[in-house]
Amino acid sequence: MGLFKFSRSRSLWMMHFCTGCGAIEMPPTMTSRYDMERFGIIPMATPRQSDLLLVTGYLTVKTLKRVVRSYEQMAEPKYVIAFGSCTMRGGMYWDSYNTVKELDLYIPVDIYINGCMPRPEAIIDAFIKLRDMIDKGEANAWKNYRDNLDWYKQNQAKVFDINKWSAKI
Amino acid sequence: MSLDVEESIKQDIDLRLKDIAKCEIQRERRLKLYTGKDRVIPVLGFLKSYGFIHLAAISCVDWLDDGEFEIVYNLWSYRDKAGILVKTRISRENPEIDTAIPIYEIAETYEREIHEMFGVNFPGNPNLTSLFLEDWNGPPPMRKDFDTRKYAAEKYGMRDLTEQLKIGMDKIKGVRDGDEIL
Repeated sequence: MGLFKFSRSRSLWMMHFCTGCGAIEMPPTMTSRYDMERFGIIPMATPRQSDLLLVTGYLTVKTLKRVVRSYEQMAEPKYVIAFGSCTMRGGMYWDSYNTVKELDLYIPVDIYINGCMPRPEAIIDAFIKLRDMIDKGEANAWKNYRDNLDWYKQNQAKVFDINKWSAKI
Repeated sequence: MSLDVEESIKQDIDLRLKDIAKCEIQRERRLKLYTGKDRVIPVLGFLKSYGFIHLAAISCVDWLDDGEFEIVYNLWSYRDKAGILVKTRISRENPEIDTAIPIYEIAETYEREIHEMFGVNFPGNPNLTSLFLEDWNGPPPMRKDFDTRKYAAEKYGMRDLTEQLKIGMDKIKGVRDGDEIL
């Protein structure tokens, strides 16, 4: 294990993109009951300072734009944890006209947490798994985004107009 | 429970709007008023001057079988502590009704939402742009004849995960039979 990997895996700064209902599981995870800071994970205000993007629930098309934009602003290496059934297969919004069903079509996801909603134990478990993956050099979804940018952009273009969006936000 | 306040409001409304609107008492503190499409603005103007100064919401109901939309204005009077629903019907073929902005300025946002979700046009509203649905390319989604399941399947097209599910089920079976999970 290299020094860089060791340092990165133990000082993850997290931007939690609080969409949907999953955000309510974050306060207990952050505060003294479950205390994620013992793993070196702290909440961070802006994407440019963060290593880890937490998507905490279902995404509408409008929100997805902001997620992609936040994700692209983050400095590499960057990691994504997606929360709950909604980010995987749409969850209870599987037939909704305006929610994104599978998040990993649009941005690469390192770890999905199952559940509706996942308990803080599950979130801590995902953090530890991510730490181990970084240690072993397996958390490489961000490289995937760089290598397959065309594929991701193609999928994004299916749900929103990627040519217009930067001017609009 | 006496309905004195409601009765007096109804009397006043009947007196002033006898020819153009029909008023009903729904229950305590709730009144209903039916009027024609062209009469909505004068009716709202009168009600505002009468004391219904708060426009709480504008909503739309899609009566598919009748081929009509029903626009409902929710008003509230702080003086009488009573609410009134102003209902009017417009045709589904060419849904169009004058904007209520001259009476209630807040109507702009409500009308914008109805325009987006039902495709109703409000001549006079300067800002009928998209509110929740950016880059929307389908029909207005809250209409009853909009098939949300079909639209979602076409637009988001979920991948077939039968194989992965099978692998997962085999794993669970393995655990049940006493094997260790991978």
